[in-house]
Amino acid sequence: MSFVLKMVVRELRASWRRLLFFFICVAIGVAAIVTLRSIIQSLRTGLMREARATIAADVLVQSNRAWTPEIRADLDQRFALAPVEARSESIETATMVRAEHGAAVARMVELRGVESGYPFYGVLVLQNGKPYSHQLLANGGALVRPELLAQLGVQEGDRILIGGKPFTIRGVIDQEPGRRLGGFSLGSRVFVDLADLRSAGLLVFGSRANYQILLKVRADGVDRLTRDVRTGFRDRFVNARSYRSTEDQIGESLQRAENFLSLVGFVIVVLGGIGVWSVTRVFVRQKIRSVAILKCVGASNAQVLATYLLQVALLAMAGSLIGVALAAGAIRAIPPSLTESFGGLAYGLTPSAVLQGLTVGLLVSVLFALVPLLDVRRVKPLLLMRGADSNVSAATQPAGARGAMSWLRRVDWLQAGLAASVGAALIGVAAWQAGSWRAGAAVSIGFATVAGVLYVVAFLLVRVVTPLAAAPWFPLRHAVISLRRPGNQTRVILLSVGLGSFFVLGVRALQGNLVSEFDVGVGRGGADMFIVDVQRDQVEGVQALLRERQDAGAAPARLVPVLRARVTGVRGREVTLENAGDVRGRGSLSREYVITYRDHIESNEEVVDGTFWSAGDPLPADAPVSEVSIEESIHERFNIHVGDEMRFDVLSRPLVARVTSVRHVEWGDARSGGFMFVFRPGSLAQAPHTFIGFVKGPDDPAARGRLQYDLVARYANITAIDGREIIARLQKVIDNAVLGISIVGGIALLSGVLILIGAVAMTKFQRVYEAAILRTLGASTRLLTMTLALEYCALGLLAGTIGAAGALGLSWGVTRFVFDIPWRPAPGLLAIGAASTMLLVTAIGVLASADVLRKKPLATLRAE
Amino acid sequence: MIELFGVSKSVPSGSSTLTILHPIDLAIPDGQVVAITGASGSGKSTLLGLIAGLDAPTSGRIVIDGMDITALDEDALARLRGRRIGFVFQFFHLLPSLTALENILVPMEIAGVPGARTRALALLDEVGLSERGHHYPSQLSGGEQQRVAIARALANDPPLLLADEPTGNLDSTTGRQIIDLLLNVNRSRGTTLVLVTHDAELAAVAHMSIALRDGRVVSQTSGTADTRIPASASRP
Repeated sequence: MSFVLKMVVRELRASWRRLLFFFICVAIGVAAIVTLRSIIQSLRTGLMREARATIAADVLVQSNRAWTPEIRADLDQRFALAPVEARSESIETATMVRAEHGAAVARMVELRGVESGYPFYGVLVLQNGKPYSHQLLANGGALVRPELLAQLGVQEGDRILIGGKPFTIRGVIDQEPGRRLGGFSLGSRVFVDLADLRSAGLLVFGSRANYQILLKVRADGVDRLTRDVRTGFRDRFVNARSYRSTEDQIGESLQRAENFLSLVGFVIVVLGGIGVWSVTRVFVRQKIRSVAILKCVGASNAQVLATYLLQVALLAMAGSLIGVALAAGAIRAIPPSLTESFGGLAYGLTPSAVLQGLTVGLLVSVLFALVPLLDVRRVKPLLLMRGADSNVSAATQPAGARGAMSWLRRVDWLQAGLAASVGAALIGVAAWQAGSWRAGAAVSIGFATVAGVLYVVAFLLVRVVTPLAAAPWFPLRHAVISLRRPGNQTRVILLSVGLGSFFVLGVRALQGNLVSEFDVGVGRGGADMFIVDVQRDQVEGVQALLRERQDAGAAPARLVPVLRARVTGVRGREVTLENAGDVRGRGSLSREYVITYRDHIESNEEVVDGTFWSAGDPLPADAPVSEVSIEESIHERFNIHVGDEMRFDVLSRPLVARVTSVRHVEWGDARSGGFMFVFRPGSLAQAPHTFIGFVKGPDDPAARGRLQYDLVARYANITAIDGREIIARLQKVIDNAVLGISIVGGIALLSGVLILIGAVAMTKFQRVYEAAILRTLGASTRLLTMTLALEYCALGLLAGTIGAAGALGLSWGVTRFVFDIPWRPAPGLLAIGAASTMLLVTAIGVLASADVLRKKPLATLRAE
Repeated sequence: MIELFGVSKSVPSGSSTLTILHPIDLAIPDGQVVAITGASGSGKSTLLGLIAGLDAPTSGRIVIDGMDITALDEDALARLRGRRIGFVFQFFHLLPSLTALENILVPMEIAGVPGARTRALALLDEVGLSERGHHYPSQLSGGEQQRVAIARALANDPPLLLADEPTGNLDSTTGRQIIDLLLNVNRSRGTTLVLVTHDAELAAVAHMSIALRDGRVVSQTSGTADTRIPASASRP
C-alpha cells in the first residue's frame, strides 16, 4: 500500500496541471448541486419555522361564500366539541382605495378585515417600532403598506376612502405574518377592523371575498378538527387547513423544486463526468509507457490500478471541495433583490447539501474514470521493446462472421460489465437526485439516446468522409485522415461536445419557451382594464362613464354578465359523476368557475364540435334542461362530450345543462375574456348576477388614474383592475423566475464550454508528433493550421447540429409534457447554437494546438 | 540456470502466420555473460522478451531456476521480474515524472524491501551518479539515463540481468562505459547477464554467443573466459 500512496503523490506532483480541467469539471457540477440545494433547504427551514405564522392560527376555516346562519351554527357545533381556545374572524377581498384629499387616483388593494384576536401567531410589524394592537384599527383605523402612501400621495394620519367610507391611516405595515412567499398579489395590503369592512358596502352580491375563521386549538385537537371540518363541510364549499398541513404543503412543493433543481445540478455533474471520462482516457494513453515500466519492474495490475484510481479520487475530492467553496461564494453573491422577493430569508450552505454535493462529485468522477482506467490492465510490458502503444488501441479487425466471433472473444467482459454497472449506478444517482425513479430514468435515457445517436453518427461520419482521403487538396486529405486514423478522437469529441451542446441549447430553448409564454399578456390595442363586481343597476352608468373617458377610436367597453358556479355532477357517454364528492375525485373540475351566458361566439373562439345555439333565440325560461358550451380542455381532460348532461350549483341553485358544443378559446387574446362554460341565454338571465367589463382604458396614465378614481367614487363596490399595473407586477415575479432560469442556463453554458475546451485540448497530444513530422517534411504553419481547422470544423458542425436537433426534441417534450405550454421551436437560436459550436470547436481546436504549431519539431521528435 | 525447451513464437499476419522464432533449445548456466547477436528482425529481442516473461511463447517451456515461467499469470510474472530479473532497455524507459533516485526506489517499494532509500543511494553511487539523484530523466543525458536504468535493474539484486541493446542509443565512448558497468556487475555479483547486441567485440568476449538469423540459431559459440574488452576494441 505504501508503494501505491508514494506513487500517487509522485504522479500528482508531476501531472496535476494536466488534470486541472478534470477538477474544474467536477467543481462546477458540485457547485451547482450544493448552491441549488442549499438555497431551497434554507428557504424550507425558514418557512417551516413560520408555518403557524403563515396562517396566523392553528386552524383556518375558510370559504369563498359568506357564512350562512346554518353553516355558522353547524361550525359552532363542531368547534364546541374540539379543544378550541380562542377564535377570531377575518375577511379578505380585493377592492379599490383612494385618498380623501390628495392625488385623484384609485388603487386596487387586498383588504383584510380582522378582529381583536388576530394574529394568534406571528407579529404584525409596523414601521418606526410602533407595536401593533387592535386599537389601531378600531373605529375607522387602517394600516397600509408604505407603497400605498406613495401611490395615493398620503401619509400617516391622512384619511383614505374604502367603499366610500373614510378610514384614518394609523400605521404603516413593515411585515405581515405569513405574507412572505413573494409570489403574486393583486395589490398592496390594507388592514381594517372587520366590523368596518362589513359596513363599508363592499360585500354586496357577487363580490369576491374570502371568509375566514381563525382558531387557536390545543395541540392534540388540531388534526381532528381540521379533518372533521374538511369532511363535514366539503359539499358546502368550506375548507379547513392547519399549520401542519401548510407545513406539509410548503414542504412538498419545495421538495419537488429542490429535486428538480438538483437534477439539473446532476446533469451538470454528468457533463463534468463526460469531461472526466475523456480526460482520463487521454491520461491513460499518455501513461501507457509508465504503466508498462511499472509492470516491468514488478508492479501488479491491482497496484497500478489502485495508483491511478486513487489519483482520480483525490482529484475528484479536491474538485468537489472547490465546488463547495464556489457554492458558498455564489450564495453570498445572490442579489438582495432576489432574496427579498422570498421574504428576505437567510441563506447559507446546509450540511446535507454539502454532503450530497461531495458524494455525487466523488461518485460520478470515480464511476466515469473507472471504465477507461481498466485499460491499464491490458498494458503489456512488452511494448517497451517495441516502442508503440499498439497493445491498447484496437488492431485492424477481420471482417464478416469470423470478425464478429473474434470481436466477441476480444470483448473485455469485465470492462463491459463494469460499464453496465456504472450506467446503472448513474441512473441510481440521477433517481436519488431527482427524488424519483421515473425522472432519473428519463434523464438517463435521454442522455443515453443522444450519446447513442452521436456514436452512430461518428461511425457514419468516418465512413462518409473516407473517399475524401484521396482528395487532391493536402489540408482536406489530411483532415480526413486525422478523422479516421487509428486511435482517433472523433467519437470522443462528438460525444462530449454533442452532449454539451445538446444540454446547453436545450436549456436555452426551454428558457426561450418559458419566457415567451410569460410574454403573452395584454396586447396593445386590446382591453387593458377590467371592471368587476358591476351590479345590474350600475351597468348603464358605468358604460356611460367609460364611453366618455375612453380614447377616440378605442373599442367600446363591453360588460359581460358573470355568475359563479360549481360542477356537481356529470352524466355522460364516458363519465358519470353522481355528486359533488365524485366531481372532487376529478381534481380541478370541482373548482369554482366563472360562467357567462350569451347568444354568440366571440372573435377569439371557434366551435370544434357540436353546434352553438343561434343568436336571438333564448331558451324558454321554463325549459327543464339548459344548454352549455364547454371549452376544449374540459372536453379533453375530463372526457365530457357533446350530448352529455352536466349538473351545476349556481349560487346554491341547481342547474342542469346539456353540452351542445365544444369551443377552442385563444387564451392569448383575452379582449373578450375566456370562459370554460358558456350557457344559452334564458333561465340564467333571471338569476342574480354581476357584470365584468373588458375595457381599453385611456393611454395617458393620469387619465387612467382619474377614470379609476371616478368609477370608484361613484360606485363604491366596483373594482377596476388596471391590467398594465397587474402585468408590471406579474413581470416582476416573472423577472425573478427568468433570472433563476438564466442562472441555471448560464451554469450549463459555462460547463458545456469548459467540457468542450477540455475534450478538444486533450486530443492535441495525439497530433503533436504528426505535426512535427509534417513540419520536418516541409509543411508550413498555414498548411497545418488549415488541416486542423478543417478537421475540427467538421466535428464541431456535426456535434452542434446533433446537439441542436436533440435540444429541439427536448424543448418539445418538456413544453408539451411537463410545462403544458405551446411549443416554440426557436430555429434561429438553434442555428446560432450549432454555428457557435462549430466556431468554438474550430477556434479551441486550433488554439489548443497553437503550441504544437509553434514548437520546434526536433524537440517533439526527441521527446517521442 | 535458464533453460528453454522448444520455445517458439509466431504471430498472426493477415490470413497467414508469421514465425518470428523457430523452436529453440537453450541452457544458460548461472553467472555467465551471454550475447545474442543477429541482424534486425532476426528474433533477438523476441527471445530476450520471452526469457523476461514480457511475452508468452507460442510453444515450449522456459524454466528459470527450476520454475516454469510459461505457466505463470501476468501478476506472478510481474512479481518474478520484480524479485529475480532486472531488465535494461535500449530506450532506457525511465518514469518521466519521477526523479532518478525515485526511479531506482520503485522496484524496491513494489517488493516492499526495507531500507530502500539507503540502497538506492548506494546504487546511484555505484553507477557514478550520486550527485544527480534529484534530477528528472529529461535533465539527464542518454548515458546517465541508461546508468539510472541499470541501477534500477539492480535494485532488488536480481540473479539475472537482461539487456536489450543497452548501448544502441549511445555514442561509442558512453556505450563502452555502460558495457564496462554491466560486465563489472557480472564479475562482482555473479549476476547472469544476457544481452542483445550488434557489437561483435562484445560478442567475442562473452562466455557464450548466440547468433540468430530469421528466427533460427545459426551458431552458438563459447568466447574467452576473460570478459574484459580490449582497450583498442571499437564499435561499428
